[in-house]
Amino acid sequence: MRQARITTAAAAGFAAVALVATGCSAGGGDAVTEEPATVHLALNQDVGTLLPMDSNVDDNIAVLDVVYDGLVRYDPETTEPYNYVAEEISTEDNTVWTITIKPDLTFQNGEPVDAASFARAWNYAAYGPNAMANNYFFERFVGYDEMQGETDDAGVVTVEPTATELSGVTVVDDHTLEVTLNGPFAGFSTMLGYTGFFPVAEACLEDVEACAVKPIGNGPFQVDEWVQGEKVTASKWADYPLDEAPAFDAVEWTEFAGGSSWADFMAGNLDEGAPGAADLGDVESDPDLAERVVERPGAALTYIGFPLYLSEPWTNIELRKAISMAIDREGIIEAIVPGERVPADSWVVPGGVPGGETGTCEFCTFDPEAAKEALAAAGGWPSGQTLTITAGTDEEEAELFKAIGDSIQETLGVPYELETTEDFSSKRRNREMTGIFRNNWFPDYPVNENYLAPVYASGDPEEGNTNFGYYGAEFEEAIEAGDSAETLEDAVAEYQKAEAALAADFPTVPLWFSVSRSYHSERLSNVILDPFSGQMKLRPLEVAAE
Amino acid sequence: MGRYILRRVLQAVGTLFLVMVVLHLLTTFAIQLNGNPALAFFGEHEPSASQLAAVEKRYGLDDPCYDQVGNPCAGPFVDRLVAYAQGDFGTNLRGRAVTEIVAQSAPHTLRLFVVVTFTWLTIGMVLGSVAARWRGRPADHGIRFTTVLVDALPVFVLLLLYKFVVTVPVHQWARSEFGSESWPALWFRPSFDADHPWATVLIPGILLGVSGSAAFVRLVRASQLESYSGEHVRTARSKGLPERYVVLHHVVRNSSIPVVTAVGLVFTEALAGAVVTEGLMNINGMGGVLWGAVKGSDVSLVLGVVTLLAVVTVVVMIVVDVLYAALDPRIRYE
Repeated sequence: MRQARITTAAAAGFAAVALVATGCSAGGGDAVTEEPATVHLALNQDVGTLLPMDSNVDDNIAVLDVVYDGLVRYDPETTEPYNYVAEEISTEDNTVWTITIKPDLTFQNGEPVDAASFARAWNYAAYGPNAMANNYFFERFVGYDEMQGETDDAGVVTVEPTATELSGVTVVDDHTLEVTLNGPFAGFSTMLGYTGFFPVAEACLEDVEACAVKPIGNGPFQVDEWVQGEKVTASKWADYPLDEAPAFDAVEWTEFAGGSSWADFMAGNLDEGAPGAADLGDVESDPDLAERVVERPGAALTYIGFPLYLSEPWTNIELRKAISMAIDREGIIEAIVPGERVPADSWVVPGGVPGGETGTCEFCTFDPEAAKEALAAAGGWPSGQTLTITAGTDEEEAELFKAIGDSIQETLGVPYELETTEDFSSKRRNREMTGIFRNNWFPDYPVNENYLAPVYASGDPEEGNTNFGYYGAEFEEAIEAGDSAETLEDAVAEYQKAEAALAADFPTVPLWFSVSRSYHSERLSNVILDPFSGQMKLRPLEVAAE
Repeated sequence: MGRYILRRVLQAVGTLFLVMVVLHLLTTFAIQLNGNPALAFFGEHEPSASQLAAVEKRYGLDDPCYDQVGNPCAGPFVDRLVAYAQGDFGTNLRGRAVTEIVAQSAPHTLRLFVVVTFTWLTIGMVLGSVAARWRGRPADHGIRFTTVLVDALPVFVLLLLYKFVVTVPVHQWARSEFGSESWPALWFRPSFDADHPWATVLIPGILLGVSGSAAFVRLVRASQLESYSGEHVRTARSKGLPERYVVLHHVVRNSSIPVVTAVGLVFTEALAGAVVTEGLMNINGMGGVLWGAVKGSDVSLVLGVVTLLAVVTVVVMIVVDVLYAALDPRIRYE
């Protein structure tokens, strides 16, 4: 019921925006020749697929955001979810969820968007051997384990999966879907707007490879062509039945796959640009650009992990506090990436998601005296040893982590060495870290739980979680209490208790949150950035003629 | 001549086989020592064991030999050779056929090479001939000094300067002056546009060509100087042939033999330059594909592309050898 109410409010708000948008274009473009209004954008990441079940990087998520519609969408300002394709999402106990779908919706090929279309997509994603990137989102569904099979340590399959469908997903009738979770989870409905929960057409699964290149969506735009490695073009779907349709005609995404697109933006070939560190000179010397920038706090948290699976000194909480308080977060950001990060003193982004508050980490401010005291309380740094700091090979990150090492060395007198390695992820996964190491978390859906449970919960008091070897009984209890809370508000409060438990155990050191910044061309207005990915939201965008 | 070509082809097949063996052993040991490239498929997220197993199987990495350090993995190698022989070069981690990827990206690289080769030959022949003709004069010194300068300027610096200093204002100006689809606007686009492949590859290609042309200029100059002092030239002159005829027929033509060889040799080197150029100018070519594949640990794509490149290189070498033989009769009788 709560969800239904939000829908109406948000829909009304969006309709108002849409009206303004249409009003603008009708008044401004005195009907000369109807040139289609095309937005030119860059895909800066390597995009391997446009299959919703398999899309998990910012760039393909951004494309699919206008090609598909999910059960819920998120308010771009508040991240609050509201029903979109779903008519209603209801539950009695947070375990069994009933989802009703709006009638008369179709895919771009004419197939109905019904309960079966969601079940089809979810079953495909959850089936282990399909190796879909969004597989893990279905872990909470009943029947997930049976679809994974088992493998031995060498990775050889010992038990084949016994099911190809999630037993927890039932198609009740054409427009009703019933989902049973392994246990209560109050945040379930907020997950449903994520790309991995989009529906797919039957024709899509009949030829998955084709569908990954030319999606059959249910959103306001359809992909005309994707020349892989070069560009994706999409144009308006004329029969789009819902109201959140963009006010322009086409989008063209040029792939840059890691290369810089800034020069193309500056030359006027792209409507949006994000300067690299080397391009900041352009930005400062161009007052005109300063008027075309949109900025918002990002949601990605960078933090330091400790190998708690080893013994002393890592298991000594005073030492971890000492390291945290020895890092001059503000000074490092100011020196290396001014304005591009916000110092973090919490594990959940404050204001970005429900339950995120500032100041939950007491020991996250630079305090050299307190740091020295904490180190003394920990019994000092083992003499003759060097602190290893491990990070990936990204140059900017390496520079930041070198500065962190310098800060620690200067404050605590602990010598360090920075190790940047391609094998960073596998070393972390295989628990081969011997010192402190970089971590980054990027939320998938807007609840504070997403910063906590997936990162720290393991239910394994012996070994702890994979990456850090952390286990906190109080933390796990609070997460469980949140999962089974009656309302989302109650759940969020419980998850906040989990964050407090985390703060007491202090297994990791929050460093900073990202900042999203985007420059746009003079043609664009009403530019709003996605609170999660920092990407420009296409649906509310207004575009003047070229 | 027929036997000469046959001999070269047989040698080429042997070379190719050796390349594939070495390539296979290197990647096999890399997998055994570094761990599973199938993990690359999942990026930052950790896959479940069954997902990993599924991906390993899909890309032929599930053979237990990949877990045994030192095992040369002969089985998978033979399987791959058989598949290659049937024209099946496998797929990348996303299931796209390697041949399809190459078919899409190779034309872009070939266009780049056409421009590059043309630039080499033009600059090399013109400047080299001028320097040789007026040996010891200011023109000669000037040209030699310039080649040293060009050599000292790495191609990526040249391209970076071009892309970030030149293209933006020039392209903007050309767009406003002649329209965004006009030739000047396309020539000076900051990056490649697949809708206008020739126009947008022209200047990057010329720049890459210029940066590699120094060797050609010196080569042509040296070989022409040798010809100028050669007996056949003295004879031709003493016969009273006009200087123009002597230069064109006896000097320039003879000096083209080492140039042809050099084109073949430098071809492989140009591929390295192409990686840089393609990366900076956002050209979706072979260099970029290979770079991305290596970065993403896409083993089957790396193997497929490198094998295809080896085939191309070997074929170019044969063509050069045959041309060489055609130009210089002494070679084929050896």
